[in-house]
Amino acid sequence: MNPVLFAIALVFGILFFAAFVIWIERRFLALVQERYGPNRVGPLGLVQVIADIIKILTKENWIPPFADKGVFVIAPMIIMVTVLASFAVIPLGPGIVASDLDVGLLFFLAMSSLAVYSVALAGWASNSKFALLGGIRAVGQMVSYEVFMGISLLGVVLQTGSFSLVAIIEAQRRLWFCVPQFVGFVVFFIAGLAETRRIPFDLPEAESELVAGYHTEYSGFKFAMFYLGEYVGITLISSMIVVLFFGGWLGPWLPPFLWFVVKTLFFVVVFVLIRGSLPRPRYDQLIGFGWKLMFPLALANLVATGGIVLALAR
Amino acid sequence: MNGLGSLALYLVVVVAIVGFIMVLTHLLGERHSQRGTAVPYESGIFPTGSARIRFPSDFYLVAMFFVVFDVAAVYLFAWAVAARELGWAGYAAILVFSLETIAGLAYLWKMGAFDWGARRKREHLERHGY
Amino acid sequence: MNVSFIVAGVVAILATVMVIVQRNAVHALLYLIVSLFALAVTMFLLGAPFVAALEVIVYAGAIMVLFVFVVMMTGAESSRVEPRAWIGPSILGIVLLAELSWVLLFAPAAAGRVVGQVKGVSSKELGIALLGPYLVGVEIAAFLLLAGLVGAYHLGRRHSPPSLPKEGA
Repeated sequence: MNPVLFAIALVFGILFFAAFVIWIERRFLALVQERYGPNRVGPLGLVQVIADIIKILTKENWIPPFADKGVFVIAPMIIMVTVLASFAVIPLGPGIVASDLDVGLLFFLAMSSLAVYSVALAGWASNSKFALLGGIRAVGQMVSYEVFMGISLLGVVLQTGSFSLVAIIEAQRRLWFCVPQFVGFVVFFIAGLAETRRIPFDLPEAESELVAGYHTEYSGFKFAMFYLGEYVGITLISSMIVVLFFGGWLGPWLPPFLWFVVKTLFFVVVFVLIRGSLPRPRYDQLIGFGWKLMFPLALANLVATGGIVLALAR
Repeated sequence: MNGLGSLALYLVVVVAIVGFIMVLTHLLGERHSQRGTAVPYESGIFPTGSARIRFPSDFYLVAMFFVVFDVAAVYLFAWAVAARELGWAGYAAILVFSLETIAGLAYLWKMGAFDWGARRKREHLERHGY
Repeated sequence: MNVSFIVAGVVAILATVMVIVQRNAVHALLYLIVSLFALAVTMFLLGAPFVAALEVIVYAGAIMVLFVFVVMMTGAESSRVEPRAWIGPSILGIVLLAELSWVLLFAPAAAGRVVGQVKGVSSKELGIALLGPYLVGVEIAAFLLLAGLVGAYHLGRRHSPPSLPKEGA
């Protein structure tokens, strides 16, 4: 297949999937809260998101006169580009991957470490107090949880002996890594929640204290970039969980690509149900939890995995 | 070097699509200007003072710790990918390395760098006695 | 391959020049991030994907985040530097440039490698080398990081909680 066409198809596929995730979230949250959710546009309200996107495309592309204009425009694009770029290394099926890098996992970590700029620059460039408060909170939280996000994945790398995501999936033919790397999976899942700034880690945009946090001054499609970026981010973290811990496309009966989608959807739904059921902690609890519990846990998991792998290799 | 070409191509496509959407919405969107348009949003109240607030240094410390531990994690990356080949000698080395990292973490923990709320409370107690 | 190498190199140089001439600290930092990116691409082309990824993770993704964060926190994005302050750094920079030119012009053995002919180094080989022959360096780095951690904490903390002066004492 032509690589350009494949890239375009992949990007639009991800965007449509993220739009579908928005629908899932609205319907499931409504279910949790005993409401209907969007149910007018199309069957079961399925095309509601498309209608929203068309509407928001015709909204004013407003740049506040008090903002730093260039940075203000770049910030929402950064989050979209970094999360979409991460999908380049994720294998959706055997051979269905934009680029099977030797350092695929590191590429994912590099992109997720760059996503911090989006919220930092949005908060700074808005030149507004709520935005700056949200931006500072977001950076403090994301950097705290990024450290052990990388370390939590090293157990998988250790067992595979490679950073390539295709190699990692192939190594799970006998046993999914969620069994030997259960601790790593839990730590990565929590770090993923924090990286996507979802409840219970949504303090940067806590609407009861900060209006909308770092995107307070954003409207129109630049706001939609942040919004859609969050759901692409959820899709990304879910797919990474599937690739690293739940055997990627591996599975009986169904075609591999379908297995990948089904597993990813499962974790997307878990993300949504977590939002529907957990409260928001205080900021000092969030920092303490990350550094005092998660970081030592990830490190201990790595050292223990190393010992066991070496002992079994003899 | 395999994969770099297709990666670069994919990145170009991503940037092009995101840029195209931004230009499109710029062309399609309306324009308006009203009395409150140019005022930063502060829940309906006129903002006072500059929006450049100063923050407590705890945030700076967290970012600093992040940089240090991120560099430490890099060595763990290098070990993890070659752990089998390095064998027990490499394991001993990385065990020492991890213990030093943990020592740093334990020191910060003991000094109270991670309990913001509790420390504030204690400082307040010591200063005011209530 | 050579074309992409040259493009990455030119982008790195231009971005670095922009870092120097920008007035606004955040804009300058953004150009510095672009420059580091271009360096990462160069490393990748030279056959060191692991180092390229680390360049982005550590430099662009951690150290520069810290810089941007500090500028955000202090709100000190535009402080004017007196022209005289540039004299020292300029002299040092010229010395480095002279040394680099000397190496390129008169020591062709070091600079004679052509991009594309370089053998790539996989991350596994790098790990084996780093924790094998260069193990002492790794352990020294651990000490250095520990010292950095303790130093950063004591420079950055607000008060010393145990010995806080009591009011009226």
